[in-house]
Amino acid sequence: MTLLDLLLLLSLATGVLVWLLGRWSGAGVLAALLYAGQFALLGAMDGSAAASPTFQVLGQTIAWSLDPFGRFFAFITLGAAIVSAWFMAGEWGRRYTQAGHNLRALHGALAVNVLAMLLLLASTDLVSLFIGWELVSWAGFLLMAQGGAAAVRAALRYVTYAMGGAMAILGGTVLAYAWTGTLDLGLLAERLPALDADQLWLLVALFTGGFGVKMGLLPFHLWQAPAYAEAPGPGTAFLGAISSRMGLFAIALVLARLVTLEGLDGLRILPGQFGVRDLLAWVAAFTIVLPTFTALKQNDARYLLAWHGIGQGGYMLMGLVVGDAMGSAGGLMHVFNHATYQAALFLSVYAVIHRTGTADLNRLGGLVVRMPLSFLTMLVGIIGLAGLPPMNGFVSKWLIYRSLMTEGMPLLFVASVIGTLGTILSVYKLIHNTFLGQLRSEHEHIREAPWSMTGPMLALCVIVFVTGTAPGLALGWVADAQAALGLPVLSYTLGGVASARGGLDMLWIVGVLFGGFGVGALLFYGGGGRSRRVHQLDNYAGGHFLSADVRYQYSDNFYAGLMHRIGPLYRNAFSWLESALVSAVDLAALAMQGVYRQQAPALFLLMTAVAGLAWVVL
Amino acid sequence: MDALNLALELVLMPLVAFVVGLFMVLMMRRIAARIQRRVGPPLLQPLYDIVKLYGKQTQISHGLVHDIGIVMAVGGYVAAETLLPVPGMDGLADRGGLITLAYLMMIPSLGLALGVGQCANPNGSIGIARALTAMLAYDIPFVIVIFGVAWHYGTTNLADIIALQQAAGPGGWGAATMPLLALAGLFSVHAMLGKQPFEIYVAPAEIATGPMVEMGGKFLGGLFVMQCFQFYTAGVLYVSLFLGGGENWLTFLVKAFAVVAIPMCIAFLFPRYRTEDLLKMIWKWPVLLGLAGLWLIMH
Repeated sequence: MTLLDLLLLLSLATGVLVWLLGRWSGAGVLAALLYAGQFALLGAMDGSAAASPTFQVLGQTIAWSLDPFGRFFAFITLGAAIVSAWFMAGEWGRRYTQAGHNLRALHGALAVNVLAMLLLLASTDLVSLFIGWELVSWAGFLLMAQGGAAAVRAALRYVTYAMGGAMAILGGTVLAYAWTGTLDLGLLAERLPALDADQLWLLVALFTGGFGVKMGLLPFHLWQAPAYAEAPGPGTAFLGAISSRMGLFAIALVLARLVTLEGLDGLRILPGQFGVRDLLAWVAAFTIVLPTFTALKQNDARYLLAWHGIGQGGYMLMGLVVGDAMGSAGGLMHVFNHATYQAALFLSVYAVIHRTGTADLNRLGGLVVRMPLSFLTMLVGIIGLAGLPPMNGFVSKWLIYRSLMTEGMPLLFVASVIGTLGTILSVYKLIHNTFLGQLRSEHEHIREAPWSMTGPMLALCVIVFVTGTAPGLALGWVADAQAALGLPVLSYTLGGVASARGGLDMLWIVGVLFGGFGVGALLFYGGGGRSRRVHQLDNYAGGHFLSADVRYQYSDNFYAGLMHRIGPLYRNAFSWLESALVSAVDLAALAMQGVYRQQAPALFLLMTAVAGLAWVVL
Repeated sequence: MDALNLALELVLMPLVAFVVGLFMVLMMRRIAARIQRRVGPPLLQPLYDIVKLYGKQTQISHGLVHDIGIVMAVGGYVAAETLLPVPGMDGLADRGGLITLAYLMMIPSLGLALGVGQCANPNGSIGIARALTAMLAYDIPFVIVIFGVAWHYGTTNLADIIALQQAAGPGGWGAATMPLLALAGLFSVHAMLGKQPFEIYVAPAEIATGPMVEMGGKFLGGLFVMQCFQFYTAGVLYVSLFLGGGENWLTFLVKAFAVVAIPMCIAFLFPRYRTEDLLKMIWKWPVLLGLAGLWLIMH
């Protein structure tokens, strides 16, 4: 029995156990421990670990094996599962049950998601990849659909998209098999370069489009924000942290390992200048910018973060497509970084929901004094999401910026920075409207979330900060993943990257930053008169004292000046396109219905019979 | 380089920045006074102001985040100065580089935003919303400029960028080889300093209704210190990117003061743009200039 067998068995056992014991009060702790056990097994693996069960399809062996690239994603998956299970192990879970929801089903869905993802990450051929893909898609649906009516609607929309994507992937798989005669990923990588440009084109389009649906790549991104935001608390954190990265995993597998970036270079759209690689980079750039500015307009904290999740996916693809050692390392490291701070952010939002009952950014404010640990978590999280030092989000974005500079891609660089600036605006709105500003009188006596919730939040904060200060800790995994994918490998140090043309040493940067804060604190607290702290509700504006029952929180249309300028650019073009497509399908279905119900049943029967015969004969 | 030397540099660089920054604030006030036909403040007035603000009897804090905001606003710049080479001292320039410096320069804004946010004054929040919008405006030409310079010299290490310019002489300065980018950079430095016509988010003239509304005593004193650092950082960064840095302290200071003087001389002749017009202005001219400059150096 190999380590991967053990891992998959334990994962399966986790699912069965949490389902059986889901009503027991210790189920959450048990689940977290079981995920931690899987994490430990993963840590014990070295090199590629194969699973024993295999089977035959069309004379091809279908097998599973986890290489360092898959293991990188598996570590993140299990980490996200641990914090999610831990978060719902205590009071959150009890409240969830009391509200009439099924905690057992939530635990079960989480465990099924983890198992499905592990299977996907361990795939070694197109069939196991497709099986894993479908399992992940449906497992995601299980988790999403548990949040009530709005969640079911969002989840159904997701499934529609996912089915479309799966059809594209299936098409790609069949074509790849027909053209190369193999399903094995290793053999495919050898045989794909022999295909001509048109065939390769079609494969790249089918696979990238299909897998891109899960990742929320433009223009297939509309489903993601509502589907993630409406899922139950820790489910949202898990989905937001890792779920859509499965799309990135598969895209990276196809683009970097099968087709290879050199192979991509051969595919041109316009003779000379513009190729598939540029197209993908621009898709990534638009995926960064447009969803980020959509997030800026959200008034629900969960939706705001979910939209940012789509935008951050763009950075990962961007880094991967640039493809040099720094860029691809940045893209892959961003997967890890994003998972950590995004989970922390979602959990802090759900801690606020737990206490106040709402995530509406116009109905919160001033909670910093009431919930200081949740505030701290959100602060660390937004600094990571915005990509500012000293958090880990900065390092991965730095690597991507640096590679765009080295490769001489100014417009993509500017697009990435615009995304970052938009993120800063958006996350300030998030923290301001939740924790800063006026405290509402109905929130005057709420308490901090319980330790079962703040525990995982603070653990994530520590990870976000430590891997920002010493990125070498995470870059080790990243470098192994790069090597497994066949990408150029980043040479890194504990503090970042040493380069003769401008490197990065976060140990020093964080050191001087905190030294600077120390100087600032010394100046502030050591010098001058003593400051007197006034009560949070002791305030005035425009010369009038304000009492707590007057609402003066500035929250709605927060960036009025900016919206005055860019507001007209929000045209909902993608939603319009989606509804146009839906209407067209509706119309066609209606016409068909008209034909076979009322107009000419015989004609319909004849048409179907002819079409069926033609299909069989041809 | 031995550790003691580096430690000395890390202490001296922010200190120099603060002292030079004080004189830059003095220069700004003197220029304003001359344009308005006044005499202007005496030599040590900026220092007196800081001492006075720190010594005020009434110091109202709205909570820990309010305090930390000021600490971050000053501390972020203190850290940034160690990445900005001055004659004879490179500090941490080789460990951070241009991109890190640009992002460290956002930390004070974020700190200020957090501090003002906790004050729960809607005027303050509106001011911060405008300040962040302005940052979105001026940072776009700024990063275009940074990209252009880094690409042109093939490095993000500021010490190397300065050395390459000095080796080539004044004809090889960034301003001579990349004139359009230099112009775009000047625009964004102007907006970054929050001077007219881009001063709506600072709103210094309406302290009771602007973002500074809840800042009194040493809170305002801390922001005053931050302003000194801000002038210095913007001026010296521009000198390092486009004017060959400082061969010695004399030329270094002359260049830095000259760079800061340009926006000052223009500023006091202008009224104020509204936020949306500020965006339109900056997204049009400096961005166009910057992109044209980029195209020129890359082809």
